[in-house]
Amino acid sequence: MGFGYSINDQQHGAAYFGELEEALMQRVDGVEGDGDTKYTNILPTLEIFPSWSMRYQQIHGGDLGSAGKNTASEVESESPLSRNQDSSEQTSEKKQKNILMANDASVIGAAQNNKLGAQEKRKITGSMRKEGNLLDAKTLRRLAQNREAARKSRLRKKAYVQQLESSRIRLQQLEQELQRSQSQGLFLGGCIAPGDINSGAAAVFDIEYNRWLDDNGKHLSALRAGLQARLLDGNLGLIIDECLAHHDELFRLRAVAAKCDAFHLLIGTWTTPAERCFLWMGGFRPSELIKILMPHLDPLTEQQLMGICSLQQSSQQAEEALLQGFEQLHHSLADTVATGLPANDGTLSYMDYTAVALDKLANLEVFIRQADNLRQQTLHQIRHILTTQQAARCFLAIGEYYSRLRALSSLWASRPLQNFAANESGWSTATDVHVIQQPSKPTNLGASDKLCAEKGIISGSPIF
Amino acid sequence: MQSYGEVAVEQMAREGAVVVFSVSTCCMCHAVKRLFCGMGVHPTVYELDHHPRGPDIHRALTGLLLSSSASASASSIGDGGNASLLPVVFIGGKLVGAMDSVMASHINGTLVPLLKEAGALWL
Repeated sequence: MGFGYSINDQQHGAAYFGELEEALMQRVDGVEGDGDTKYTNILPTLEIFPSWSMRYQQIHGGDLGSAGKNTASEVESESPLSRNQDSSEQTSEKKQKNILMANDASVIGAAQNNKLGAQEKRKITGSMRKEGNLLDAKTLRRLAQNREAARKSRLRKKAYVQQLESSRIRLQQLEQELQRSQSQGLFLGGCIAPGDINSGAAAVFDIEYNRWLDDNGKHLSALRAGLQARLLDGNLGLIIDECLAHHDELFRLRAVAAKCDAFHLLIGTWTTPAERCFLWMGGFRPSELIKILMPHLDPLTEQQLMGICSLQQSSQQAEEALLQGFEQLHHSLADTVATGLPANDGTLSYMDYTAVALDKLANLEVFIRQADNLRQQTLHQIRHILTTQQAARCFLAIGEYYSRLRALSSLWASRPLQNFAANESGWSTATDVHVIQQPSKPTNLGASDKLCAEKGIISGSPIF
Repeated sequence: MQSYGEVAVEQMAREGAVVVFSVSTCCMCHAVKRLFCGMGVHPTVYELDHHPRGPDIHRALTGLLLSSSASASASSIGDGGNASLLPVVFIGGKLVGAMDSVMASHINGTLVPLLKEAGALWL
């Protein structure tokens, strides 16, 4: 490989090399600072030792070739970087070298010897005579610049390799995550495409939760029917116990999901927006539930009232303690993630914090489990305190409360947004809420009235 | 024949009305300490990561929890590393258990009487 460019072969590729010469001119002029003719200025770039005799040129043609090869390989290996990181001077020099390398090889010495025009020979011998050295100042400078360029390209290569290393680690992690998700996806018997990273535990839980909701609805219907039929306490109690066991089943599902994907439970995409907004540690907050239900549990005996109140108080204390522990986890995690900021060496910092942070994230599962434990114990204690009749009404009330929240979420999602533009004040009229069934006719007070009446929505309320 | 750890645990558990075996960096241990402080109880806390015989004590506690009937936490111990087993709480020298046992007993109303009996809580 070498410089295949030949001045005497202009007829073959003069046009192609015209631009090359221009580029070389700019480059050379900037460094060399002389305004010689085209041909005389090109050659110093091509020949590092122009003042040497033909014999030396033949020898160093080989060296030039190898030196050229070296720089060529360096340039090729780091071309992605050179595009981004080079100074313009270096870039143009490298581009020129690239173009030159791409040409066919020829023995440099002999070819270059043939290229020497009369002018050039005169210049070369002139400089030789002037200096009296084999290496003149320009050559020394050229050598130094080459060394510098080689050093810089070595550094860039090193940086690139480090980048590759960190990418490799990231790739490994992604592959592990993919494997894990795929193995979880298998539990569904192929219902979920194995190639989807976001499937796995989260999707499994979502599906199972929805199935649980359906079954819960059936249990609640049975309860309702039992109450209406005025079943004896024994029989009604059985239905209630089934209900409670069904709730326990959900806690088991959540425990499995928390092990694989704690974030999913905490973030709450498995639930509807209205529920998600007030999610506490990935679920309902026991003391709040008691507060909501209490007015509807009348009549309560003195003892029952005390029991419920102390239950609420204990629950509040336990919730507060869990919350404080959770906040400490948050602060601890934030400290870990923030260690060593700002990063000086990207690769090293990435490795340092991840191990500790991942360890701390494992505590998320523990917190969800304790919160679920609290919820489960509260439900059981409520059952324990109340009579059968009261307990039946209580579980029905819980079920109805959440189904209303879910209905509210879907109503909210389907509320008409186009009225924002129409109504500048931002306050809706009575008609706005009723557009659900007939979105194209915002002023129609038709069948959708019934839907809203059922859900107890007050018309005329502002949308925001 | 009792190990050092078992003897130590027995001894330490008797040194206060409420004794908590904990790890200083553990967030769940922090939660249980906050729970007791919130109730007006001042537990005796042993931070096992600062104790010279910490690992022995830890091992003895694990054994106690696994063998005791008071462990709904038994299932949790099998699953993860050591961290999931702490905190462990003793009241009046008797084992209550890990975090979920403490919470469960608080919810079902048995914790407060235990505390009063041990003299950790008045009123």
